Amino acid sequence: MNPLNRRAFLRNLGVSAASLPFLSALPSLNAAAAQGPRKQRLVIIFTPNGTVPTEFWPDVEGEDFQFKSILQPLEPFKSQTLMLKGVYNKIKGDGDQHMRGMSCLLTADHLLPGNIMGGGGAPAGWASNISIDQEIKKALQARPETQTRFGSLEFGVAVPNRADPWTRMSYLGANQPVSPIDDPYQMFAKMYGQVKDKDSLVSIMDDVKDDLRKVAAKLSARDKQMLEEHLTLVRSMEAELKAPAVHVEHPLPELDPGIELVNDNTPQISRMQLNLLVNAFTNDMARVATFQYMRSVGGAQMRWLGIQEGHHALSHEPDTNQEAFGKLVKINSWFAGEVAYLAKRLAETPEPSGEGSLLDNTLVVWTNELGKGNSHTLDNVPIVMVGGGGGFKMGRFAKLDNVPHNRLWLTLAHGLGHTGLKTFGQADLCEGGILPLS
Amino acid sequence: MPACVSNFFTRLAACLATGSLLWAGNVFAQPVEPTPASAQTPEPVGAATGPAAVATEPLGAAIYRKSCAECHGKRGEGVTGKYDDPLAGSRSLPSLVRIISKTMPEGKEGTCTGPDADAVAAFIYDAFYSPAAQARIHPVVESLSRLTVAQYQNSVADLLGRFRQGFDRPLGPQRGWRGVYSGFAFSTPEEEAENRELVAKKKDKKPRRPEKFERVDPQISVHFGPGSPDPEKMIPEEFNVRWNGSIYAPETGSYEFVVKTENGVRLWVNEPDEPLIDSWVTPGPETREERKSIFLLGGRCYRISLAMFKFKDRSASVELLWKPPHGKLETVPQAQVMPQEIATNMIVKTALPADDRSDGYERGTTISKEWDQATTTAALEVAAHVEMTLDALSGSKAGAPDRVEKLQRFCRRFVETAFRRPLSDAQNAALIERAFQAAPTPTIAVKRLVLFTLKSPRFLYPELSHADGFDDFSVASNLALVLWDSLPDPALWKAASEGRLHTQEQVEKEARRMVDDPRTKAKLRGFFQQWLDLERAEHAAKDTVLFPEFDEALHSDLRKSLFLFLDEVVWGQAPDYRRLFQADHLWLNQRLGRVYGQTLQGDEFQRIVPVRGKRAGVLTHPYLLSSLAYNRTTSPIHRGVFLSRSVVGVNLKNPSVAVAFEDAKFDPSLTMREKVSSLTKNASCAGCHGVINPLGFTLEQFDAIGRWRSEDNRKPVNSTVDFDAEEGASLHFTGPEDVANYAVSSTHAHDAFVRQLFIYTIKQPPAAFGVETLQRLRTQFATNGFDIRKLLVDVVMTKASTGIPPAAPKVAGN
Repeated sequence: MNPLNRRAFLRNLGVSAASLPFLSALPSLNAAAAQGPRKQRLVIIFTPNGTVPTEFWPDVEGEDFQFKSILQPLEPFKSQTLMLKGVYNKIKGDGDQHMRGMSCLLTADHLLPGNIMGGGGAPAGWASNISIDQEIKKALQARPETQTRFGSLEFGVAVPNRADPWTRMSYLGANQPVSPIDDPYQMFAKMYGQVKDKDSLVSIMDDVKDDLRKVAAKLSARDKQMLEEHLTLVRSMEAELKAPAVHVEHPLPELDPGIELVNDNTPQISRMQLNLLVNAFTNDMARVATFQYMRSVGGAQMRWLGIQEGHHALSHEPDTNQEAFGKLVKINSWFAGEVAYLAKRLAETPEPSGEGSLLDNTLVVWTNELGKGNSHTLDNVPIVMVGGGGGFKMGRFAKLDNVPHNRLWLTLAHGLGHTGLKTFGQADLCEGGILPLS
Repeated sequence: MPACVSNFFTRLAACLATGSLLWAGNVFAQPVEPTPASAQTPEPVGAATGPAAVATEPLGAAIYRKSCAECHGKRGEGVTGKYDDPLAGSRSLPSLVRIISKTMPEGKEGTCTGPDADAVAAFIYDAFYSPAAQARIHPVVESLSRLTVAQYQNSVADLLGRFRQGFDRPLGPQRGWRGVYSGFAFSTPEEEAENRELVAKKKDKKPRRPEKFERVDPQISVHFGPGSPDPEKMIPEEFNVRWNGSIYAPETGSYEFVVKTENGVRLWVNEPDEPLIDSWVTPGPETREERKSIFLLGGRCYRISLAMFKFKDRSASVELLWKPPHGKLETVPQAQVMPQEIATNMIVKTALPADDRSDGYERGTTISKEWDQATTTAALEVAAHVEMTLDALSGSKAGAPDRVEKLQRFCRRFVETAFRRPLSDAQNAALIERAFQAAPTPTIAVKRLVLFTLKSPRFLYPELSHADGFDDFSVASNLALVLWDSLPDPALWKAASEGRLHTQEQVEKEARRMVDDPRTKAKLRGFFQQWLDLERAEHAAKDTVLFPEFDEALHSDLRKSLFLFLDEVVWGQAPDYRRLFQADHLWLNQRLGRVYGQTLQGDEFQRIVPVRGKRAGVLTHPYLLSSLAYNRTTSPIHRGVFLSRSVVGVNLKNPSVAVAFEDAKFDPSLTMREKVSSLTKNASCAGCHGVINPLGFTLEQFDAIGRWRSEDNRKPVNSTVDFDAEEGASLHFTGPEDVANYAVSSTHAHDAFVRQLFIYTIKQPPAAFGVETLQRLRTQFATNGFDIRKLLVDVVMTKASTGIPPAAPKVAGN
C-alpha cells in the first residue's frame, strides 16, 4: 500500500492524519513474534424476559439439528454453534424470579437479604458472589501471559441508569455490582481517550504557539522571558505528542457522531458497541466481555421492528395470544441477529497474532434471565454458544439432564484455562463437576 | 538665592578659609549613594589608609568600611560564610543605633558607641538598609503572573457557570433542607370493606391513596423507628423522602459525606446525574455508614440532595454527616444548608502542582513542565465536560437547524469570558468561524476551541488581557482576580461594556459590592490562614498524658472558635483591626468550656469573657497558642517569632546557627522563660532574640494548649518584659494586653498587617505599585478607623485602578 492510499484508507476509517504515528506498527509485522498458547476470549451476551421455547429449541438432538425461526440469523455459523438445553438456574432464596434470574445468573449463588421488592417472594439485595466473567478475568489477569489492559469490559445497550438487582449481572464479589457502560462514546473514551486527546491537542498546538508569540511581542524583556519558557514547554509537549505510541496497533473504530442514547437508536447503539468490542479484542485490551441488552424485566419498545408494546409486557401474554407470540419471536430473532453480527465481525477479523479468525478463539455465550417469559421459569435457561473459544465440540444441539448452571460456568472457566476452579457459586450445586462438552 | 545653597557656599568659604578640605572634599566627591562595590578594592580592616581616603570619606562610611564590611559586605549585601543575609529591613534609625551599640562589631562589642554608632547607623540606614534605600537600589516592578491554583479552579468554575441557569442566583436567608415525604395513607374502614369484597371476588385490591407532605428540616437526622414520618396519616411499611437544597463550603478542600442508615439511600453533591453515594440496595438490615469524599472550592454553594426509601425494612432512619476540611465529623449543620437548589459548579479534578510560596504567599511567577502538563490535562477535562453537557450549555439540540449558530455563539461567549474581554467580529471570524470550518464536525470544533482557550496565554496570564491597552475590561479583570481569584461576573462584565469602570468612584463602587460576595469571604479566610500560619496549627499534637483533653474534636472546635471570632470581627458591624488584638472574649461551647475554664451547655458556641486570664484577641486564642507550643511545653520562641513578624512587624533574619530546643538538657527546676533566656544568651542570638524573647514571654501565662496558668514548673509565671520598639523607645509590657495595645498604635504593626493583606490579595509586593504605596495604604487605614473591609477595598483599588487617572480635584462648573 503506498503512503497516499494508506492515508486514504485511514481517512475512510475516520482516523485523522494526526493519529498516523500511532498506527505505524501493523499486525503483519508482529505476527511472527507471537508464540505460545492461543489467546482465548469469552463474551457473555444477555437478553431479557425469556425466550419462546417452541421457536427456539431445535427438535432433534445432536449434529443434525435444525435452527428454529428465532435462530435463523445464526445459520452461517451453525457448524460453530453449540446449543444446550436442560441448564437450570437452581438458586433459591430471596428475590423474585427476574431478580434471581439476573443477579444469580452469572454469580450462581443466592441473593443477600435487602430492601428491593419484586413481583413476588421476599425483598432482596445484591448478589452474594463474584460473577463468572469476573472470576475468569481475575484468573487471566493474575498471569502475565494472559494479562491485558482492562482484563474485562462490560458493555451495555439501553440499560436504564439505575443500579438494582434487575440491572446488574456482573459482580466483583458480594455486594459489589459492576455497572455496564451503555454509552458507546463513553466506552470509546475509556478505550481510546488518550489517543483521541492527543489528536485534539495536536490540532490546537499551532494556534497556541502563535498566540504565545503574539502576546509576547508586546511585553517587556523580563516578562517575555516567562512566555518564552512557556513556548518551550509547549514545543516539547508537541514533540512528545508526535512521537509514536506503541499501544494501539489497530485502527480506531469509527463512531457515528451524535447518536443520542434513546430507545429508538438502540439498533445503531448495539452495532456501535459490538464494533467497539471487536476492536477491543483486536487490540487485546481485554479477554473477557459481558454484553447486556436492557435489563431483566426490560420494557424496550422495539419500534424499529414495528412493535409498539414494551418487551416485558408482551412476555407476560399467554401462549394463546398469537399476536404477542409473533412479536416475541420477532424480538428474540432480532437479538439473535445481533449475536450473529458479532459472530460475523469476529469471523472476518483475523486473529492478530496467530492463526485463523478472532471467532476461532472466542466463545460467545448468549443467555437470558428466564427460560420463558410468561411462566417466569428459571428452568431451561437459553444457552447458545458460538465460536472456537473454550475448546468445546461445536455444531450440535445437546440436551442435558436438569443440570445446575453452576456446572456450566465451571466448565467455561476450565475451557478458558482457569482450571484451578473447583466449585463455583453455591457449592452443593456443583456436584458432578465440569460438563463433558469437548 | 535659596537658603540651602547660600549655606553651602558660606560653609565652603569657611572651609577654604580654615584651609581644611575635609568636609568640602566630601561634599563634592562623595554623595550619599556609595560607589558600586566592584569599583572599590578590598582593604583589610585596620590597615593604614592613605590621607586622601580619610579625607574623602565621612565618618559613618569609614567605620563601616573598617569594622563592618568584612562580614556584611561593601554595600551590606552580606558575605557568604560570615553573615549571609543582606542588611535591609524596617527598623528605625534609633533602633539600629541601639543594636550596633550593644552587639557590634562581633567579638568587640561596646567599641562602637556614641557618635560612632550614630554615624555608622546613619550611613547603613541611608545607603542600603531602609526600605526607601532598598526601593532605590532594587526597583520593584510587577512581575507577569500566571493563574495560581486557586485562581485556575475558580476561573474555570465561573467560566462554565456563566452558561448555567441560576448560577448567580442569590440564595435566601432561610436555612435548612426542603424535605419531600411521600407514602401512602391508611385505608379507611370503607376502603377496607371494599377491598375485602374485591378479594372475595378474586379481583385486585384498589390502589392505595398516596399521602405526601413537605417541610423544611433543620438537619437530616431522622429516626422513624418502625413507624412512618407521619404516624397519624402515613403507613409505616413503605415511604420515601427526598431532601433538596444547597450547601455552603466555607473553604477549599476535601469534604467527606457520611450517610448513616439501614434503608436505601442515594446522595448527590454538585453533580445532579452522578450520585456521590448510591446505596439504594441495602446489603442487610443493619444500620451502615456509607462514606465518600468530594473536593469542593470554598466560598461557593453546591446543590445537594439525599433520597431515602423504606420498603418493609424493620425500621427507618437517616443521618447525614460531613467532615469539612480541618473539621470533625458532625451532622451537617443547619447554618450550612439553604433549601433552594443552585446550578452545578464545574470543579476541575485534575491536580495542579502547588504554587511557589517562597515569598510567603502563593503566586504564579514560575512555570514548569508539570504545570504545563496539568493545565493540559485540566483543559481536556473541561473540554470533555463541555462536550457532555453541550446541549444545556449552548441551549441547543443536536440536529436542530440553528445548532451550528448556537454553538458558535456559545464558543464566542466562552472565549470572551475566559479572555476577560470581548472579541471583535474580525477576531471572531479568525478564531471561531475558522475553527468551525476546519473541524470535521461542529462538536469537534467546540472541543478544540475549549482546549485552545484554556491553553491560551490570554486565559492563563490574566495580565495579558490588557496587553493591547488598558480599558474598563482590564479593570473588571483585575477586580475579579484580586477579590475572587476568578473572572468577572455578569454584573462586572455589564459595567465594563457600558463604560462604567472609568473613574475611581465607579471602580470603588464595584469593589465594595464584590467584597460582600462569599468568594471574597473565602479569599479572606485564606488570608487569615496565611497570616496566622494555620497550616502549622493543623498539625498541632499534644502529649496525651499531660493533655488528654486535647483530642481531634477539641482541636477542630478550637479552629471553629477562631473563625467565629475572625468572622465576627471582619464581617460584623465594626470590622476594626484593633479588635483582632484587643477583644477580651472567646467563642466557646461545652467541650471548649470544660478545658478553658467555663461551664457551658450544648454544642452551640457562645461569646464568653473568661473569668481568669485576660485574653487579647487572636494573640491569646488557644488555637494559636497551642500551635505555637511544643507537645508538652510552651514555646516562647515560636510565639515570639509570630508576634514579631506577623503582629508587631519586625523583619527577622533566619538564625545564624540552628539551635534545637532540647528540654532534657536544662536544669529541670527552671521555668521555660529561664531555659529560653539561657539558650539564647549568646551575643550572636541577641540581635533577634532581643525582640523575640520579650514578646514570647508575654504569653507565658498560657500553657501548651492555651489554658491560663499562674505557675510554670511550680514557680510563678513572669510575663513582664522590656521591649525595644522599632520606633526606638523602650516599652514595658506586663502581658499580651500590652502587646495588643502596642500593635494597634504602632505604624510598624499597621505596615505589617497592610503588607501581608496586600501580598496575599494582589500577589505582588506593594512597592511594585510605587514606593509610597504601603505608606499611603497605612495612612488611609488609620483615617478609616482601621476598617479591615475598607482596607481591602483600598488594597484592591491599588491594583484595579492601575491605568485609571487619579481622581481629579473637583473643578467649579464641572
